[in-house]
Amino acid sequence: MTFTIYYLLFTIYYFPGLQSPSYLNFQLSIVNSQLWSDAWPAGLTMLGLGSGFALVLLIASIKLKVEVDPKVEQIHEALPNLDCGACGFAGCGQYAKAVLENPELLGKCAPGGPQTSAKIADILNLQVSDSGPQKRPIVHCRAHTDDKTIYAGYEGIESCTAANALANVQACAFGCLGYGDCTRACKFDALHIIDGLATVDYEKCTGCTACSKACPRNLIEMVPFSHENMMTVACSSKESGKSTRAICKVGCIGCGLCAKQSEQFVIENNLARVDYEKYQLTEKEETAMTKCPTKVIIYRGKSAPEPLQPKQKTTASA
Amino acid sequence: MDMVTTLLLAFISIVIINNLVFTKFLGICPYLGVSGRIDMAFGMGMAVTFVVTLSGTMTWMIDNWILMKLGLEVTRYVCFILVIAGAVQLVEMYVRKFFPSLYDSFGIFLPLITTNCAILGLCLFINLWEVDSLIEAVVLSFGAGIGFTMAICIMAGIRENLNLADVPDCLKGAPITLITAGLLALAFMGFAGMIR
Repeated sequence: MTFTIYYLLFTIYYFPGLQSPSYLNFQLSIVNSQLWSDAWPAGLTMLGLGSGFALVLLIASIKLKVEVDPKVEQIHEALPNLDCGACGFAGCGQYAKAVLENPELLGKCAPGGPQTSAKIADILNLQVSDSGPQKRPIVHCRAHTDDKTIYAGYEGIESCTAANALANVQACAFGCLGYGDCTRACKFDALHIIDGLATVDYEKCTGCTACSKACPRNLIEMVPFSHENMMTVACSSKESGKSTRAICKVGCIGCGLCAKQSEQFVIENNLARVDYEKYQLTEKEETAMTKCPTKVIIYRGKSAPEPLQPKQKTTASA
Repeated sequence: MDMVTTLLLAFISIVIINNLVFTKFLGICPYLGVSGRIDMAFGMGMAVTFVVTLSGTMTWMIDNWILMKLGLEVTRYVCFILVIAGAVQLVEMYVRKFFPSLYDSFGIFLPLITTNCAILGLCLFINLWEVDSLIEAVVLSFGAGIGFTMAICIMAGIRENLNLADVPDCLKGAPITLITAGLLALAFMGFAGMIR
């Protein structure tokens, strides 16, 4: 319709018969009867066509109307709109729809965290139970290029999944390969390969779990960050202590020193793990950290202190 | 029989020899913009095919039965754009109703079909080539859509494989895409002159 009106004006103003479309002549041109008699069929045709299409679209808009529950819109607005897919749906729009139909899906939004869940619960008139602190990824490896033993140069596709399919690219079958599958999976530029090791930028991380799904070696675990910095055993090697020590300067050798200090450390398959269910920092854990012979117990988080370096002496033996 | 041959030739001509994307370089925006994944490219191609068939037919009818009769050929462009905009609106409503997931994945590209110059181009070409039967106009419009779908799907297929290729750093992203598009256009130049 707007088109039609504009076109009508346009035709009147610039019609070829007109000498000069200057502003002075405008008043004159309007009353020029010659012009009117030439232009009206064009205007009428356009008007007719325009109204015809308007009618068709009007009918179509009634026939093809999609009923959208206003709550879907509200939930969609409450979501962070990152379309990260952490919830298991293609995007925030789909999740909004799904959560409306099935409120049990509430709390799946990792980037939004408890706040978003609370907002959605408000819209749905539900009570939300406290789901605990937000989860953030921790890379269970701390070996930089110098710490690793690399058997062979890898010249294949620049991807951890591809490199992981080949045996012996890197001596450690559990550690970070550093080809950046997680970096590519991250939509928020929060993960970078720094000196051969995937390093999380906790300032930018939203906890969307994309990296933990992308890592072919399952190095990245989503951990509830109850504190700003979390203590962790940054290794995944299940090799015997001797083999781990032979191939990595900073691997967990499963010696059990930490478990002797604190109950929060559990040794399983030659590998120490922090039990995050009962995570509570005391002096005991600090002692365990300093006593760890390979210094694999470190802090990860927004303001994590520089990890301690293992003494050369202990790592040189193999 | 003669009619069938003409139509068949027209179809092959518009799909391969006078492909709007490869030989006229029309509709490059969606051709490069939505050709990242083959399923989306196909969906886009289908939407364009629908719009172009509808609008090509409609514009031929309006052009021949209304504008030419009234001597209003100057208003052709505006009328054509009106038809295309209307058709896109219709497609948008239809897709939203019956293929919501496709609707979500198109995002902004669906309304952008309005400004896809391949469609306006085709409508004007039909006029330029002096197509004088409705059925031929329909076949040409449909063929143009199929040609666009073919072009965008070929491009998407190549680009999916390109992701795994070892492209020099300076050519990553848009440059290699444009080079690919250029090579494809060159390849399709080989069909030129096959049908007179």
